[in-house]
This record gives sequence, C-alpha cells and structure tokens, in this order.
Amino acid sequence: MSFTAPGWGNFLTGVAPTAAVLLIALLLSLCGCGSSDGKTHLTFQIWDTAQRSGMQAMCDAYTAQHPDVVIDVQVVSWNEYWTKLEAAAESNTMPDIFWMHTNQLLYYADFGMLADVTDLYNDVESGYYQNHFSDISLGNVSGSDGRYYGVPKDKDNGVLVYNKEMFDQAGVAYPDDDWTWDDLTDASQKIYDATGKYGYLAYLDDQLGYWSYVYQNGGYILSADKTASGFNQPGGKEAMEFYIGLQKNDWCPDQNFFTQNGAGATFWSERGAMFMEGSWSLLGALENNPKMDGKWDIAKLPKAPNPVHTDESLDQDGRACMSNGLCYSTGAHGKKLDIALDVIKYFGTEEAQIIQGESGAAIPAYLGTEESWRKAWDKFDYKINIDCIFEQFDYAIQVPYNSASPRWKSQVLDVLTQIYAGNQDVDAGLEKIESIVNTETQKKLADN
Amino acid sequence: MKRKLSVAERREENWGWIMVAPTIIGLFVLNIWPFIQTIYTSFCEHLGFGHYKFIGLNNYIEMFQTPEFWKATWNTVKFCILTVPVGVILALFVAMLLNTKVKFKGGFRTIFFLPLVCAPAAIAMVWQVIFNGDSGILNQLLGTNIQWITNPKTAIVAVSIVSIWSSVGYDAVLLLAGLQNIPKTLYEANSIDGAGKVRQFFTITLPMVSPTMFSVLIMRLMASMKVYDLIYMMSDDTNPAMADMQSLMYLFYRSSFVSGDRGYGSAIVIWTVGLILLVTLFQFWAQKKWVNYDI
Repeated sequence: MSFTAPGWGNFLTGVAPTAAVLLIALLLSLCGCGSSDGKTHLTFQIWDTAQRSGMQAMCDAYTAQHPDVVIDVQVVSWNEYWTKLEAAAESNTMPDIFWMHTNQLLYYADFGMLADVTDLYNDVESGYYQNHFSDISLGNVSGSDGRYYGVPKDKDNGVLVYNKEMFDQAGVAYPDDDWTWDDLTDASQKIYDATGKYGYLAYLDDQLGYWSYVYQNGGYILSADKTASGFNQPGGKEAMEFYIGLQKNDWCPDQNFFTQNGAGATFWSERGAMFMEGSWSLLGALENNPKMDGKWDIAKLPKAPNPVHTDESLDQDGRACMSNGLCYSTGAHGKKLDIALDVIKYFGTEEAQIIQGESGAAIPAYLGTEESWRKAWDKFDYKINIDCIFEQFDYAIQVPYNSASPRWKSQVLDVLTQIYAGNQDVDAGLEKIESIVNTETQKKLADN
Repeated sequence: MKRKLSVAERREENWGWIMVAPTIIGLFVLNIWPFIQTIYTSFCEHLGFGHYKFIGLNNYIEMFQTPEFWKATWNTVKFCILTVPVGVILALFVAMLLNTKVKFKGGFRTIFFLPLVCAPAAIAMVWQVIFNGDSGILNQLLGTNIQWITNPKTAIVAVSIVSIWSSVGYDAVLLLAGLQNIPKTLYEANSIDGAGKVRQFFTITLPMVSPTMFSVLIMRLMASMKVYDLIYMMSDDTNPAMADMQSLMYLFYRSSFVSGDRGYGSAIVIWTVGLILLVTLFQFWAQKKWVNYDI
C-alpha cells in the first residue's frame, strides 16, 4: 500500500491553525477559575447530601451580608471524601472550606494542613470558644499541640430505637431511664418468645456499638491521655465480652446476618425490636418510614448494672453515650484564606448555628442553640421522644481517637471480625487488640 | 551503515512521531512514571501527605512475615483457579452456540453481552440480594441454607460466580469473532472425510480459535489477579469471611487508602505485578505447545 505523507507545508496550512485554536481553547478553560463577575468564589465541601440544604441556608445568610462572595456547596460521598481531600492537600488545591472529622483532624492538623483558628474570635470576645462550646466539642477540634483547627459544627449521640408494637405484644414495659443491660436482655428474650421477632440487634460497630458499653461499664477504649488501650482492662474487657456475647442468644442474629442485612433495615422492616442508632439518622428515618408512624420511639441507652471502678473510670453510675462532632476547617495555605476564615468564623456564630439547627441538618455545637434542632421535627405529625437525646449530653463522652487511629482502627476491626467468626477466642483477641492499639500509638508518638 | 533518508521518508517519519506522540506521552505520564514511583514508594514509609521516608526493604520484610498477606495471595490464586478455566470454557461454549443457526441470534448475543454494560455496583447489589443467606433467591431455589457471602468456605465461590457471569459475554464475543474467521471449507472437507462433530471440534475449531483463546486467557487471568472491585462491593469491613475472600488488590486498597500506609500498599502492588509477570511469561512459553498460528 502506498502512503503519501502530507508535507510540513500542508501541516502549516491545515493542521497547525486547528491545533492552535484547540490549544488556546484548552488554556482558556483552565483559566476558567478566574471569575468574570468580579466576585470571590469559594467552594465548600461536605459529605452528607441530607445536610446540603442546611449548609446552603447558612451560606445564603453569609452571602446576603457579603454580596461579593459566592459559595458553592459540593457533596462528595464519604467513601471518596478522604482520598480526595488528601490528594487535594498534597497538591495544595483543597476546597476553601470543608467539613473535618475527629477521626482525621489530628492527621491533617499535625501535618500543618489546617489553618489555626484559635484566635479567630479574639476581636469578638475573649474565651469565645470556652464560653460557647462544650469540652467535647473543643476536644474534637484540638490538634496535638492544643490549638484549634476547626470551628465546632455540631454534636450527636446514639440512642436506643425500639418498636412499641413488639413491646406491647410481649407485654414488656417500654425502656425507661432506669433500664440496665439486664432489662435489655430480658426484654429481648420475652419479645423473641412472644413474637418470634429478634430482640436487641447487637451488630459489630464501634460508635454505635461496643464503645458506649465499655464506657458505661467503667472501662475505656483509650486512656484519658490517649496513649493506652483499655480493651483488655477490667471494665473494658467485661463490656466487650458482654456485647460480643449478645449474638450467642437466640433473640439476636449473628454477624453473618448483620453483614448481609444491616441492623437498621432489619428494624425498619419490623423483624427486630431494638437497635442503637445515631441521632443524625433519626430525622431521615422518620421521613423514610411513614408506615412506622406510631409504632416506634427512642430511649436513652441502658446503663451498666455493675460498673467497674478503676482510677481511669469516669464513675457516671453506669451511664455513658458516645458523642462526636464535626467542624468547619480551611486549608492552611489556601489562596483565599482570609475570606474562607471569615466564612467559618460566621459559621461558628449563634446566628449561623441556629440556621443549621432549624434546617434539621444536625444538633448545633454552640451551647444554648441546641433546641433550634427541635424545629426541624415540627413538620412531622408523629412525635418521638427527642428529649432523651438532649438529656444524654449530660454524660456524653468524646469519641476516642488519637493520632494513630487510622493505623489501628482497621486492624482492630480485623481481629473483631475474627472473634465474631469464631476463629479467635475473646480473651486472646482482646489481648491482641490491646497490643495493636498500644504498639501503633507508641510508634506514632515516637515518630512525632 | 545507516542509509540516509530521503526528504519524503523523513517527512513520513516526522508524521509517524506526531501520530504516536499523544499515546506515548499518555503512556509515560499515566502508566510508566507512576509505576516507577510505585517501585520507589514500596521502599518507603508514608509519613503523610506525600512525604516519604526511605526504609529499604522493611515493607517487604514486614509483608512476608504477615499471615494475612499470604492468605490474600492464596485467595487471589484460588480466585484465578475458580474463574479463569471455567470462565473461558463457558465463554467458548456460549460463542459456539451463538455461532450456530439459532433463531433470535442477535437477541441472544445482546443478552450475553448485557452484563458488560451494567454498572458494576448495580451488578454487585443485585447479586448480594440473590446470595442473601436469609432471604436470598438462590437458597430458596436450591432448598439450602448457605450463608454464601459470609461463610468463609463459600464467600470466594460466590464472588467467582459473579465474576464469571459478568465476563462470559465479553469473552464470548471475542471468541465468536475467532470462530467466524474459520473457513467453512475446512468443515466441509472434514465431514466428507467422515469426521463427526466432536472430532471436528478438536481437530478444527479448537486449533483454529486457539490464538483468540490465548489472548482471552491472558486478559482474563490478569483481570482475575487484579480483582478488587467485586470484593469491595459485595463484602463489607464487618464480614466475618473477609479474611478468606480478600484479594491482594483489596489488601492494597485497605493498606494504602484506609490505613494510609502507602509504602506497604505499594509493596503489595509490586508483589502482584511480579506474580502477573511470572504467570504471563509462563503462558507465553506454554502457548507454543497448544496455540496454532497456521492457517
């Protein structure tokens, strides 16, 4: 086959101008970030679609006062959020404002990726943070150096969700404030006997599972100075054994079942009587399960009947619930740092936190504005006992994280699944978990 | 001595370079350079945000001492053994059926090809429902009570079934093209000589389609050794059978992106690349024994 090659002459007259036009178009599109309307455009990255409108409402309130700023709320799913944010941090292209999670804050803050916001409110009020946010909220935004790297956004805790109909059928009284673990197992057995439905759904989870049991029992996951594991210490060990052992009862499905069906789906399809759920999911649950109206309610978590007392124990009479909170952060090297800081400063004010609460997005972290969250429930005819969520904050405990958490969390989960699978006995497993947490923590401390 | 090129030939050469440039540049930027970086990363500890500390062979030493790693290697091998032979044979069978004179041939071809155009996440979700040990349709059909996805013995089988199901159509289409290239005259001559259908298959069809089969085999084996997405989507961190179904690539994902230990993750990747290289070299050596390039 003969092939006549076009010469450079043809190239210059035909191809080159086309290529040049394409190249210019490409360059122009790359410069598209420079806005043409003369306003400052900020991006605000979050992971929860359900909170989008609440976040948008806060942004609208800010831009109403600052017409020269435009804020674009972007939702990135939780599964990609951290991979994306880390890649963006490495290439210095972080979003201008973003949500930060306790689990990751230390990693980002200790590497100098987050702007220090400790002095953000100095011109407003001295001790602004201490006056308006709880110790847990401030613990969640503190870096290893004790400085603040985010403005507290919200707070949450876990509650016991129960099916009233099944309790009635079994003739068991609804969970009340004095409920203990024994009442939980008794009720489960009675409901199972009477209805054939599952009782308490004790699925493998930390924040919505064994963590609160450990603290209720006078144990701890991490010691107060966050350097030592309590998995294999008296209170912790006993609680872990209790919680893991729940799946041995006829009234509780095993982990095989939970992996395939999920505890929430089991409860909402009326196959189980109780499970632990986060306060952040309840509004959505009410909205998505209209058929369950009148059949369900929430209660405080049951307390430990005989909590252990040690030097590390919090001694809260067997009561505890885990509380986490997110915060608003901005990158330390952002190109629009001043404006981004001004926006998150606004997000931490009473006004913005009330907007967030009323939208139903989450319970505001700003002390005294929590009640605004109730307003989001007004539009629903069926009322559940949300008082218990607020009351639980009295003895809430900050979710246990340290800078080595990303390293030990998945390893701990591996051992726990082996225990649940029956390939590892509980005693040896807890010993192993304790050594994983301690080793990784020591390694991290030595690195720093 | 090198012959001097004429002006026309030089022009043609210039054009050749320009034509391949986008691909070559893309290959270098997107494949070769990251690969070199991965090799380097496997000798480092990731401190965070792209900062690395050179630690020599430590990642490899740690890796070879971890039972979890050997388990994942074995799981990957097991997955290949389960999916590749069955998958390729099934694909050949389907291709031969589609190559005969059946009604609705176009319809059948489309149906077999459909899994390929479905989103993998959707496929995994549907199969999760089918495999559900509590209410799944598979147990109801078989009258069994097997926890397909969470039983350590069946979990990898379940994933293999989905993998075969989703790849058979594509492989069959490739093999179908190979089958259609076989001249009809060969079969005619063969049947005049008195050969039956079975003999025709082994003396004509199989040797003539063997080059296509070889490429399908290589592609399928590489894909199986790199399996990650199916396991990620069909399983869950809290699955009691995780240790018995996680592949090397899944372990890499967890090390690099969940635990943030990218050095260790890179070491797993390099080990997997080595394995694939070894298997592929073996296949190229073995093909001389069974692949027929004569027409």
